[in-house]
Amino acid sequence: MNIVREWRTFRAIFLRNFKLYTSYKAWIIATVIWPIPLLALNIYQYKPLGTDVDISAALQNYGFTNFAGMIIVGTIIYLLYNRLLWGTGISIQSERWMGTIEVLFVTPTNKMTVLIASGLSSLLEASWWIVSIFFLSWAIFGVQPNITSWFSVFVSLVSTMAALVSIGVFFAGFFVLTRAADQLASGLQAPVRFFSGVAFPVSALPQMLQFFSYLLPVTYGISALRKSILSGGNFEVIWLELVLLYVMTAIFLVSGYFTLKAVERQAKKKGTLYLF
Amino acid sequence: MPANSIETQNLTKVFEKKAKAEALGLRRLYRRVKPKKDKIVAVDHVNLSIREGELFGLLGPNGAGKTTTIKLLCTLLLPDEGTATVNGYDITKQADKVRESIGVVTSGERGLYWRLTGRENLWFFSQLYNVPEQVANERIDKLLKLVELDERADEQVEKYSRGMKQRLHVIRGLVNDPPVLLLDEPTLGLDPASARVIRDFIKEELQKKQEKTILHTTHYMEEADQLCDRIAIIDYGKIIALDTPENLKKSIQRTDIIEIHVSNFRQENEEKVGLLEGVQKAVVVFTDPTIGEATIKFHVEKAEEVMPMATEFLIRNGARILTLEQTKPSLEDVFISLTGRKLRD
Repeated sequence: MNIVREWRTFRAIFLRNFKLYTSYKAWIIATVIWPIPLLALNIYQYKPLGTDVDISAALQNYGFTNFAGMIIVGTIIYLLYNRLLWGTGISIQSERWMGTIEVLFVTPTNKMTVLIASGLSSLLEASWWIVSIFFLSWAIFGVQPNITSWFSVFVSLVSTMAALVSIGVFFAGFFVLTRAADQLASGLQAPVRFFSGVAFPVSALPQMLQFFSYLLPVTYGISALRKSILSGGNFEVIWLELVLLYVMTAIFLVSGYFTLKAVERQAKKKGTLYLF
Repeated sequence: MPANSIETQNLTKVFEKKAKAEALGLRRLYRRVKPKKDKIVAVDHVNLSIREGELFGLLGPNGAGKTTTIKLLCTLLLPDEGTATVNGYDITKQADKVRESIGVVTSGERGLYWRLTGRENLWFFSQLYNVPEQVANERIDKLLKLVELDERADEQVEKYSRGMKQRLHVIRGLVNDPPVLLLDEPTLGLDPASARVIRDFIKEELQKKQEKTILHTTHYMEEADQLCDRIAIIDYGKIIALDTPENLKKSIQRTDIIEIHVSNFRQENEEKVGLLEGVQKAVVVFTDPTIGEATIKFHVEKAEEVMPMATEFLIRNGARILTLEQTKPSLEDVFISLTGRKLRD
């Protein structure tokens, strides 16, 4: 592997995506406004059930004493998942939509670098969401975090992001093969939101359904962040979630690499690379 | 360096076409009958040897296999049979080396990021080819000047005219300074002035000054005739003739060409004109079928013998002769002579 070459590719994809993103002013507005009602929806669905204290007391059986905080962390990771799945998984399909897939594929560039750079460039948008949601949480919902280890928060967030980018890499090949990236990505939103416990504790699900929850890296990302932000959890408390996130990241990356190779070969054999 | 920059041996590409039942959505019937998928041989055992520094033309009508050949050579497609090397590298076993050695220029509106500027597009692709920053910037400035896009370089591509986009396409293929260029119909759909600018750039700058090896596909016979050192004529995926433009035309030198422009020509006489005595081939192209206006091209052994017979036949069948001329063989006549069809049929 030529590190300089990979860096040039990474930088070019990152900057191109940033320029394309900022060239549409309306996208910036959507990015600013969209997370607000989503967060409010998740919080206000609990409000008719009682006061904040009552709800938090009811959720204590599931290990939560701050219901708004629980939802806020869940929403942040869900938004990250969404953004990174679209940013990474759909990046090659979007080259098809823009009519540039063939000129990209005749360059000697590494497609994995293209995917990872696309994923990380979408973190720019996602990081705005994270900042705005934390601000809203404090300003509107009065959430007080209980952080004892900023290192744990940082590691939880970065590890979750890595896992989410790897999911995007994994799905990129399928999206190219099926040519239905937007439908598939949309179709994955609701199940992931449900099973990963974005707005409720996973342990509230029936045992059988929890099985699906524990197959999703999003579940572990949410769990690690909730522990480190809301319960003052340090590295010793979240290590299991982190290990599982790394294992899943490795599995998704390796299988994504081989899937993409196989799909590229198939598309070149059938002549469907440019079709969308 | 290899003696031949591009070499193909029995290069073949077959596409499968959905059977009609499936295409019509008759899945149940399709499953029961399970018809074989139709196969289309897009490139059929093509053998080419293109020398270093040569400007080689691949001439053929739409759907002849020109673009598929280019896509095979630039590794966008995998061959079903045969092999090819580009700049000495095998297209299947050393695909990355092939990609480093080539610049590919497509035609049309696709292949550029419209929301980026011309300069940003070029910089982006230069980085994917691992060109160092300073070299890339200097090269981009030079290329933009060469095609007179320097003053508009910092405008978004979506504001460019069709001709400007095509010029940008051409220099995008040069950002890595490749020894081999694959140009797929680079003047398609351009107005005559823009097409001439691109043609001059290909001949004068790319071939003569930069000494690139160029494979140029086109269905414009005048373009192939004017630009190319050698031409392969391709039809239904097969190379049916290969030589210099002069030699190709000489191959039908013994044939006289008569071109008659008529009105009031009836369609039922289309086949009959080809059966006249002394006529080798006759091709009728209707320019306005409602009034029977057509151009009839006769390939004959002796023009002086056939001309009176042909005009008499046309007049007897109610046609009105507008113009009549004996012309020199063109590459189109070579194609007619080989296939019995016009290049743009």
